[in-house]
Amino acid sequence: MLSALLAIPFLGALGLMLWPGELSLEKVRRAALALLLLQLAWSLRLLLLFDPSCGGMQLQESIPWIESLGLEYRLGVDGLSLPLVLVNAGLTLVSAYASTTVTQRPRLYFALLLVISGAVNGAFLSLNLLLFFLFYELELIPLWLLISVWGGARRAYAATKFLIFTAVSGGLILAAFLGLALVTGEADFSLTPVLSGQLGMGTQLVLLGALLVGFGIKIPLVPFHTWLPDAHTEASTPVSVLLAGVLLKLGTYGLLRFCLGLFPEAWAVAAPWLAIWAAVSVLYGSLAAIAQRDMKRMVAYSSVGHMGYVLLAAAAATPVSLLGAEFQMVSHGLISALLFLLVGEVYATTGTRDLDVLRGLLNPERGLPLTGSLMIVGVMASAGLPGMAGFISEFLVFRGSLAAFPVATLASMVGSGLTAVYFLLLVNRVFFGRLAVTPPEPGGPLDIRLPAVPLVRHLPAMVLTLLVVAIGLAPSGLGYLSEQATTAMSQFPALLAAISGKPA
Amino acid sequence: MVAELPLPNLPLSMQLVWLIPLYGFSGVLLSLPWSTGWIKRNGPRPAAYLNLLVTLVAFLHGSLVLRQVWLVGPQHLAIPWFHAADLNLSIGFDLSLTNLAALELVTGLSLLGQVFALGYLDKEWSLARFYALVGFFEGAMSGVVLSSSLFMSYFLLEMLTLSTYLLVGFWYAQPLVVTAARDAFLTKRVGDVLLLMGVVALSAWSGQTEFTELYAWAASAPLTPLAGTLLGLGLIAGPMGKCAQFPMHLWLDEAMEGPNPASILRNSVVVTCGAIVLLKLMPLLLISPVATDVLLAVGAISAVGGALVAIAQVDLKRAFSYSTTSYLGLVFIAIALQQPGIALLLLFAHGLAKALLFMSVGSIIATTNCQDLTELGGLGRRMPATTGAFLMAAAGVTGLLPLGCFWCFGLLVQAFSAEHRSFAVVVLLTNLLTLFNLTRVYRQVFLGDAQPKTRRAPEVSWLMALPMVSLTVLVGLMPWIMARIDPVPGIASFSPGVAALVMGSGLIGVVSAAVVPLNKAWSRSLFKPLRTLQDLLAFDFYTDRIYRATIVAFVAALSRLTNGFDAAVVNVLVDRVGSLSMAAAGTLRLSVSGRMQTYVLTALVAIVLLLASLNWFIA
Amino acid sequence: MAPLNPGRSRTRQAPIPTAAELEQRLLAGETLLAESPTHLLEVVGVLESYGEVLDAYSINLVYQAEKQFLNPLPIFKFLDGDPSLARIWKHLNHDRINFEYAEYCQKAMFWHGTGGLDAYLDTDAFRQSCAAIIRCKTRRDPLLGLLHPLFPDFLIELIRSAATTHALGQFWRVMSDLFLDLARAERDGRVGSIAQLVNFLMDGLVAAAAQPITYGVEVAGQRFWVLPPEAALTFLVDVAVPYVEAVFLRGMPFLGTVSFNAQAQQISPDQSRFAYGALYADPLPTMGAGIPPSLLMQDMYRHLPEPLHHWYRQQGRGEGDVRVKICASFQKAMFCVTNAAINGTFPHPLTSTDLTQQQANRAYAAAWVGRLSHARTDCLSDESAAEDGSRS
Repeated sequence: MLSALLAIPFLGALGLMLWPGELSLEKVRRAALALLLLQLAWSLRLLLLFDPSCGGMQLQESIPWIESLGLEYRLGVDGLSLPLVLVNAGLTLVSAYASTTVTQRPRLYFALLLVISGAVNGAFLSLNLLLFFLFYELELIPLWLLISVWGGARRAYAATKFLIFTAVSGGLILAAFLGLALVTGEADFSLTPVLSGQLGMGTQLVLLGALLVGFGIKIPLVPFHTWLPDAHTEASTPVSVLLAGVLLKLGTYGLLRFCLGLFPEAWAVAAPWLAIWAAVSVLYGSLAAIAQRDMKRMVAYSSVGHMGYVLLAAAAATPVSLLGAEFQMVSHGLISALLFLLVGEVYATTGTRDLDVLRGLLNPERGLPLTGSLMIVGVMASAGLPGMAGFISEFLVFRGSLAAFPVATLASMVGSGLTAVYFLLLVNRVFFGRLAVTPPEPGGPLDIRLPAVPLVRHLPAMVLTLLVVAIGLAPSGLGYLSEQATTAMSQFPALLAAISGKPA
Repeated sequence: MVAELPLPNLPLSMQLVWLIPLYGFSGVLLSLPWSTGWIKRNGPRPAAYLNLLVTLVAFLHGSLVLRQVWLVGPQHLAIPWFHAADLNLSIGFDLSLTNLAALELVTGLSLLGQVFALGYLDKEWSLARFYALVGFFEGAMSGVVLSSSLFMSYFLLEMLTLSTYLLVGFWYAQPLVVTAARDAFLTKRVGDVLLLMGVVALSAWSGQTEFTELYAWAASAPLTPLAGTLLGLGLIAGPMGKCAQFPMHLWLDEAMEGPNPASILRNSVVVTCGAIVLLKLMPLLLISPVATDVLLAVGAISAVGGALVAIAQVDLKRAFSYSTTSYLGLVFIAIALQQPGIALLLLFAHGLAKALLFMSVGSIIATTNCQDLTELGGLGRRMPATTGAFLMAAAGVTGLLPLGCFWCFGLLVQAFSAEHRSFAVVVLLTNLLTLFNLTRVYRQVFLGDAQPKTRRAPEVSWLMALPMVSLTVLVGLMPWIMARIDPVPGIASFSPGVAALVMGSGLIGVVSAAVVPLNKAWSRSLFKPLRTLQDLLAFDFYTDRIYRATIVAFVAALSRLTNGFDAAVVNVLVDRVGSLSMAAAGTLRLSVSGRMQTYVLTALVAIVLLLASLNWFIA
Repeated sequence: MAPLNPGRSRTRQAPIPTAAELEQRLLAGETLLAESPTHLLEVVGVLESYGEVLDAYSINLVYQAEKQFLNPLPIFKFLDGDPSLARIWKHLNHDRINFEYAEYCQKAMFWHGTGGLDAYLDTDAFRQSCAAIIRCKTRRDPLLGLLHPLFPDFLIELIRSAATTHALGQFWRVMSDLFLDLARAERDGRVGSIAQLVNFLMDGLVAAAAQPITYGVEVAGQRFWVLPPEAALTFLVDVAVPYVEAVFLRGMPFLGTVSFNAQAQQISPDQSRFAYGALYADPLPTMGAGIPPSLLMQDMYRHLPEPLHHWYRQQGRGEGDVRVKICASFQKAMFCVTNAAINGTFPHPLTSTDLTQQQANRAYAAAWVGRLSHARTDCLSDESAAEDGSRS
């Protein structure tokens, strides 16, 4: 059942590469879309089979692999990973749908997309630390290629930066996993929490620290974030969608599953500092976003800010906050994908993303009115306006974290207010005013010709907008899906603290 | 706490009360085919008609429920919305007489405003978008007034912020609209974020979001004084932003760039919604004496300051938008001094009369293409509906003739005369200044000789005149309506002395404005102190400049600093480390293509370092 | 920062002719609009659809002035006296001409108030005929009987407005016929260039110049003159010239582009310095919010002759931005009409060799150029047309 979610993309990618004969871009794209549709359908089937009332791992599969190394092929899904699997399936499909202008080596391009999607599925589903690490690394190389081959002008720099950062991230994570096995002496690499009886708090904290930095790079958290704006600006639109919507979630997923899941006690000790880190990350990302002039960089910095909420929620580790973290991962996935799609549309039409150059794109006949309208919805969702996914996510995060970390939570709420500032500046500059793509001057150009954007190109953005609104208006579904899992997670620290509090 | 489902024995109109906000929201969807341009050959008017229809349905449904409440008493309906762990969020409706009266005010004025817009915006091609936004506006407002939960109130207030932004930004290509929409959104957003902090804190500490349960909790709240104060301040910040109170009043001035029919609603019912939320929060504010004091101070400054600034305006719309700030200041004072009944009456009387005033203003602008008071004049002889509306609105909104606000002022002065004399003075002063303002505007616009721009000024079309005349009649009937809403202790329960004070203050205002010389060219006074004062008031105490020099500059500097730090420190550091590791990869000659090797290398280095540190720890 | 991609974001700005150049063209009898086949296609086509629209406007304005005179609730004023269900349904579905735009032009003309018609509205003769009408009206209508003494200028102002409405209806009748004639002439081959087109329009205007403008109403079975023949109001001087002044040149500020805020002082207090008219307006925001001419563009869009529509479909976004293109073509056409009006009203023949006559002509041309030189004259060159052609 779960293995099919790996088989479809991986075998599909292999098939695309090995298919004999010439394949045009359109044919490759259609094939990839068909495979991704199948993957989405399969993921939805998973949703039907899944029992939300159970908090543990479900639909487990396991095959012993290299037992001496502790590497076991072991998959399972719970309320934490299932929504992310769905987001992955949906956004890869969106990404492939938006890849209409791949001129060079389309086969390789779509095969890489598929590999990424499969690897991400694997990472979300694997119940073995080493297996997770394998998939975590597997997604890296295709993405690096996607940026460095199909990217923008400074792609070499951005791709290298991305590679170095994520390599360090991978190294730290592997080191932590190996270290854990080494010091506990248990080399089964399973997802069992470590108790203080097994391991001293100092060692726990060091291992947790390594994991935190490792995943902190991926999320990314300040100060490990600088690869993200560069990667986004140089990546093409579909890759940005994938990067922001899906790949960053590997970091936050790791944060919840491994940092919190493996080291609940150390987590409880570190939590106050993590909350401060989260607040700094939120404020830093938001403030840096205000100063950006490139629309894509602005959205990228907003990601830095918004992923900080997840760390805050994880630090608080209450049932409500963890559910909020899950919501935030899903809604950030959808919203940032939407924003990158729309920014990409503006760039494709006008040839620029510069806030100082673009004006008045809401013009109904010659501008991009639909892009503009969707953009307004998207930025409002990102700014946490009620009725859209961002609000309920932020509300749950703040509501769950306030009692534990009031100052950090309030600071993060200020960051949420700042989101409105920069995104409003973006919408006001780019979409309001008289249509122009050069700085306005008296007697300036009178006639602007931008190609029209056909309605079909807006299809993914419209679907994402509908999803964002649907989750915002009826969040119970997602809540029901994840509540048991997140509640179960929130029990570790409390439970363990209670146990260890009593002298045995 | 436990979600009550609609009781089966309730009349259907009450069980379906959740539909009322949805009528407005459905207008958005109904307008879509025209506002998105899918229907290209035909014009956008069907969207307007559909919105009028759903608003009418909302109004009628509201009246039905109002009648039922009259018969069976207040009811509470709740529909569970979201539940997780100890968090229960539900959509709750509090069907009380006052809430439904407020609902009728909202939907009724929305209906009249929409008919008026059909005339005012007759040459507007984006009509469908306008009506969609007004539908959204109305839906959010209907929900706010009926809401029985703080969470839902916040939810809808924030939607109101969004629709204000979109309505002010309706003429998005006009440069001043762009800044106005931005400022309106951000100012309200500041209030909203503070309110959200309050909502989250209340929800986290008490576990409740329903008002009634919060009241019970607040009565025995185990809060430190600091927490209580911060909570109280957070809670009043939202309504302060919505009601355009000092120092968050600037947006209302700028929002006057938006279409006039939206200004009608904004100056009457939107601010009323903000105040109604504050009314619902009133019992919670008892936690914090500081919040009450702040409320009083803000209200008093807004009341007198707003009235003074209004007098110095040369723009027709702005002269009255500041008066809205002023009146809501009075409402704030009434709420802070625990006079919810009078506050509500004042909201009703002010809402109706102010809406009428803005209709009159709208028809002046539509006829003369001009908002500049110095360029207007002599309209009184030609525009009966507009002149009548202005006079009736002026009488209704002030305490000179026994119409709406007269009784409210009487009650306020009576209530404050014992312990809070200074606030009674604030009420009288506001009355005086408002009448001064109205009289001077009347002289400039309606009396005197025709000016070039008013030389040809026929009365407006029936689509604008009809709602205006209807509302004129309604404002005339206001005392009777008020007496029915508030039969006990009666709207006339104040002494003749108080009545004389209210009328006297009004008379002073009228007479002084009637004799003061008005210069058409509005030349600034040659007498320097007076000129400084004139400018200070005309430019609204330079609030926008103060903002720009403080909070805007602060955030901008901080963001530049962060960005600079990001580029100069974090990024450079990373680049250094990066090039170092590249160089290392090069010198180790591990590679043909350095990057892959770098990756392996860094992974190895990290593992080694970690293991070393582990060893050190274990040892 | 991503660089501007010049290949994709095509901005263009045709050279704006200098004032001297414009004056020279007028005095030499050359057309303002450059000679080109696409210009001819655009102008003839757009004037044909404009003629169709003006026909409807004219009928309705005349109907309103005559049959809805002083009606306080003219609910069916756009139905032209045909309240059939089918027509009401079309009206509700907004499947109709936007008569609001005709009213908008009427309001602009009335509000700016220049020329002979406006002057007549302030004469004693006019006041007396109004007094007679009002006497008759107030006798039957107690509400008006009450309002009239309280607001003595109320009814007179409405009658003035109705008079302007009727006069504009008569003016547009002539223009509609002229523009439809032009389209026929072009099809017959009688008009084959912009120069011939301008001449055709000039001849039409000159022929109608002396046509009398009169207006009478019927109140309670009694007939009253509002604009009697004795007032001797004529087509060209008393209606056409004020119309050009109010709609082509001055116009009214658009809410969608200009702030009415008194403190911002974006609008001149002196109406004669307004430059918001058809010759000055920016076509780009057409169909946006707060741009009243969008209504006219929509009406013309529904009456586009096929050759022009076909050509539009090949330009730019095709059907997607057709109404902006109509607006741009319309502006060119209005320059042609203005050109014809100027040519027809030169004080002396351009061929005159008399020095004082030449002087007078030059002064006349200079006065016009003074106002046209900061209009949207960049649409006049044929470069734009050439580029349009190459982009298909």
